[in-house]
Amino acid sequence: MEHAAVQHAVESGSKIQDLAWVILCVPLVMAVGTTLFVRKDRTLSALFNISGVVLSFLLSAVLLMVFGGDSAECTPFHWLPVEGLNVNIGLHLDALASLMLLVVTGVASLVMIYSTGYMLEDGSYPRFFSSLSLFVFSMLGIVLADNFVMLFIFWELVGISSYLLIGFWYSKPAAADASKKAFLTNRIGDFGFLLGILIVWSALGTVDFALAKAKLAENPALLGSLAGIAGLLVFMGAMGKSAQFPLHVWLPDAMEGPTPVSALIHAATMVAAGVYMLCRVYFLYTVTPGWPAALGFLGGLSAATIISLIGAFTALLAALIAVQQNDIKRILAYSTLSQLGLMVMAVGLGARSADPSASMYHLVTHAFFKAMLFLGAGSVIHACHHEQDIWKMGGLKSKMPVTFWTFLIGTAALAGLPPFSGFYSKDEILAVALEANPILFGVGVLVTVLTTFYMSRLLLVTFFGPARSESADHAHESPGSMKWPLVVLAVPSVAVAWLPLGDFLSAHFHPGHASHGGDILFGPFNHNPIAAFFGLGAAMFGFSLAFSLYWKASKDPLPATLGIVSRAMRNRFYFDELYETVFIPIHNLVSHLADWVDRWLIAGLLVRGLTGVADITGRALRLVQTGSIQAYAFLFTAGVVLVVLLARK
Amino acid sequence: MASLTPVILLPIVTALLILLVPGNYRVIVRLLAVLGSGATAVLAALAFFGFEPGQAGFQFESLVPWVTVGKLSLAYHVGADGLNIGLILVTGLVGFASVLVSWNIERNPKLFFVLLLLIIAGALGAFASLDLLFFYFFNELALVPTFIMIGIWGRGEDRTYQAFRITLYLTLGALTALAGLVALHVATGAQTFDVVALKTLLAEKPLSTSTQTWIFPLLLFGFGTLVGLFPFHSWAPGGYAAAPTATAMMHAGILKKAGLYAILRVALPFLPEGAAHWLPVLAWLCVGNLLHCGFVALRQKDLNLLIGNSSLAHMGFAFLGIASLSVIGITGTVIVMVAHALLAALSFALSGYLESQSGTVDMTRMGGLLKRMPVFGTLLVMAFMAGCGLPGFANFAGEATVLFGSWKPLPLVVLAAAWSGLILGAVYMLRALRAILYGEARPEFAKVEDVGWWRRLPFALLVAGLLLFGIAPGLLSRQIEPVAREIVKSATRGSVQTASVGAAESR
Repeated sequence: MEHAAVQHAVESGSKIQDLAWVILCVPLVMAVGTTLFVRKDRTLSALFNISGVVLSFLLSAVLLMVFGGDSAECTPFHWLPVEGLNVNIGLHLDALASLMLLVVTGVASLVMIYSTGYMLEDGSYPRFFSSLSLFVFSMLGIVLADNFVMLFIFWELVGISSYLLIGFWYSKPAAADASKKAFLTNRIGDFGFLLGILIVWSALGTVDFALAKAKLAENPALLGSLAGIAGLLVFMGAMGKSAQFPLHVWLPDAMEGPTPVSALIHAATMVAAGVYMLCRVYFLYTVTPGWPAALGFLGGLSAATIISLIGAFTALLAALIAVQQNDIKRILAYSTLSQLGLMVMAVGLGARSADPSASMYHLVTHAFFKAMLFLGAGSVIHACHHEQDIWKMGGLKSKMPVTFWTFLIGTAALAGLPPFSGFYSKDEILAVALEANPILFGVGVLVTVLTTFYMSRLLLVTFFGPARSESADHAHESPGSMKWPLVVLAVPSVAVAWLPLGDFLSAHFHPGHASHGGDILFGPFNHNPIAAFFGLGAAMFGFSLAFSLYWKASKDPLPATLGIVSRAMRNRFYFDELYETVFIPIHNLVSHLADWVDRWLIAGLLVRGLTGVADITGRALRLVQTGSIQAYAFLFTAGVVLVVLLARK
Repeated sequence: MASLTPVILLPIVTALLILLVPGNYRVIVRLLAVLGSGATAVLAALAFFGFEPGQAGFQFESLVPWVTVGKLSLAYHVGADGLNIGLILVTGLVGFASVLVSWNIERNPKLFFVLLLLIIAGALGAFASLDLLFFYFFNELALVPTFIMIGIWGRGEDRTYQAFRITLYLTLGALTALAGLVALHVATGAQTFDVVALKTLLAEKPLSTSTQTWIFPLLLFGFGTLVGLFPFHSWAPGGYAAAPTATAMMHAGILKKAGLYAILRVALPFLPEGAAHWLPVLAWLCVGNLLHCGFVALRQKDLNLLIGNSSLAHMGFAFLGIASLSVIGITGTVIVMVAHALLAALSFALSGYLESQSGTVDMTRMGGLLKRMPVFGTLLVMAFMAGCGLPGFANFAGEATVLFGSWKPLPLVVLAAAWSGLILGAVYMLRALRAILYGEARPEFAKVEDVGWWRRLPFALLVAGLLLFGIAPGLLSRQIEPVAREIVKSATRGSVQTASVGAAESR
């Protein structure tokens, strides 16, 4: 399809923004080409897929240079033209999309290069790379979508790509189950998302973002009493992809996939999709709040407020769980959940000023340092022969210096220390929270304490102290293909926030918005010193707490001190168990019932009752058994004759 | 192409040729069947891609007067519009694929292929016919061989019971529908069964409301039974499980659609007030298809029963689009019909292949087959993902269109449909994939072989069709939309008239 559209554009005087079609489609072409033609060739398949994504990255950079964040529309492809529902596959470029293109393709390129080392010994190397390309294609589709249906289409494609990648080692039952769980949990979110889209479409008469935005700008009460419901249903989509409570359970299990996949899912693609989508359809959250009569008690509460509460709850819940995890990847996974919670909270809080740029800002910085942390964890796991328990590691600092130093940078960025990028973006979120809701500001500070605490715990236990197992003792630095992506990612992890990203994003939501000016490095301390100092203090406190407990510790002292609380944290507050003992059995019960009705009521009573007398059944059965064509032909002819006679009258 | 007649005649001629070949020349029989059905598929594709959307009336039309019995004149009248051209295409494709997967039939291949070609010809004739008696005749021509094939080449212990049940249900359904057609004919007092003539006649002189309200259910439930409308659905899963692969492909894929086609072609436009009266009932019955059959599918351990029940759940989407009586909804229904034809055929072809390799369709006994059969596994993942509404496959385009079209008139049913398609579908499809393909490889399946090179052709054709219409559903919707608008216009005629009369009175 896309080729036809590109072709068409070239013929009818191509526009430079149609390069976006190339950016979108190159990874798909590579994925399909690899599967069809070079399925057996390891080197070629890696080369094709990596060069495809790198090409997309370079072209994204070109587009950002040409347009610099201005809006541009590409020649659309008419996907489903029906009157009243004209669905196009149309690409829309603006500041949000241009920035995300760079982040997605940049991180994905590095993850793929890293994978050439990490997956070297895997027999399904080509399948791995083509699945990664497919993932990138799907994510780019979300980034570039210009309408709800196209967004939903690529939303689902991200779902299937993640299913294929999480279940990459499908022979492992845990991986096969995790991929299923991820897909199904996401589907619950998509169910709400789709209904939300239907409501928006029926109220506004369009699925196009630009048109919908214009209509709502003209009349913010256009969604009427459905405004709140529509906003929350659309948010359900984000709840699935960005793993917000109560749909957060799939993400930690998704760690069963290969580590580069975790890096990609948790940094630049899947989980980012939810927050990005909320920013993309932000016009839905700045409308006049309204609820149907049955939900009248919600009164003036807007969907955005509820979203910010869910985000804050997720952030706190996940940070608490992360404190008592021992698997290096799971700690990072819960940290992702928690950071996403902060971003979602910021999206909700930003609605007051119609500016969710703080969350997008954090999304970008987080993408880089979280990708680096996951790849660093992969490097550690690789070196320790697939050991993932941090209590069986230790003393890796001197054995893996590059991994250690990059991991340290990532930790500092995640904990929010200046001048690392995470400090600036998290500070924006805290500043927004302080202005909007002091309680949520408190939650943000508490999450910062916990974040620093669990990350310091991870760092101290893994890299310092004595080696606690044989494999950790024999660990050595990873090969260049894995080392260099870490080093490259370290640069934006430190410095991406030194660029005027906040202003760039604010300008997207508020054209003509006054910029903060030049003092980016010390800016936070100037315009909102309370938030900045609280953030910094929280990080210091978290670190000193962790240092006192885990410096040269041989085992975790917390389970003994905290007792049952620690056990609840370790067991993820029993949400998985709750779902498995309540919701899934209900579904199974209904299906038992339906099957029983089918088997005994409809098939049994009706059919057998109809056939009734045994010998009629016997005779009829014999008729069929012989397959007597004559009998059928006779009956049939008799029928036709009867009809004709009747018709003659 | 000038007429659809060659498309219908080709499989019949091939069947006759095969009858002339001695039964022990098996290779010639098979080659003839493959060539005949292949050429039919090519002709059907030529018709589809030569069709010009948006033109009024029928294309590739032929009208040959046949006999006059008393005042009744019968004519062979075929032609294509946006409603049937897509169905003709997929009938050709699925027919060819079903012949290809039957290459290895050992027991009396001559009779097998003759019957299969008759099914193909019957289905093509039914979709192309613009005369209701010919439609009925062709539909029976397709249905009767399926009963015989289940009886002779069927699978499973209880195939006689299943064959009996499917025969009973479908014969009763067809007779009910026939009664409806005859009643319609008698009530109009027309001298013909011609669709075009009847339509003109009914536009001038609509039937009385009471007549419409008793004829419409005869057509709805008669044809509905052929589709597997809840609660007349229980013949389908067991019947397909007992049928030989090619028969299941043709029946679930193609013949089921004839019932929907007749409802769209006849019942809705001819009986608008009957429709207004009965479509709300249909809306609730299709919840039965969507949820009840979806939940039943969750319980299945037999792959064929799973596919059969899921196929019934998909028919819920088709019925929902009809019940919505909106241009978008009906356009969606026709896309669903085309998409599901390809998908059902693909699923049964794959399950047939799996059974031929592993000797079982019991999913609890399988596991880890992806390692041994990567190509088969990839195809199965694609088919099942199409089955749970993954964009990129035609089913998503159809189902999403139905949901959009039905949202305003029937929001609660849309809720059920979305739950069925997005959640239940995903649960049973992913459970099946998990059970069949993933996990540890089992030693008892060490001998299974992957799909060999030329054996991939039927699967590739069906997947290509699903992808083509999934990526560019506009190919279908551009053809369907004008017809859907006509149908909605005719079917809302009753209520519009009443409304305008009311308006005039109030003035």
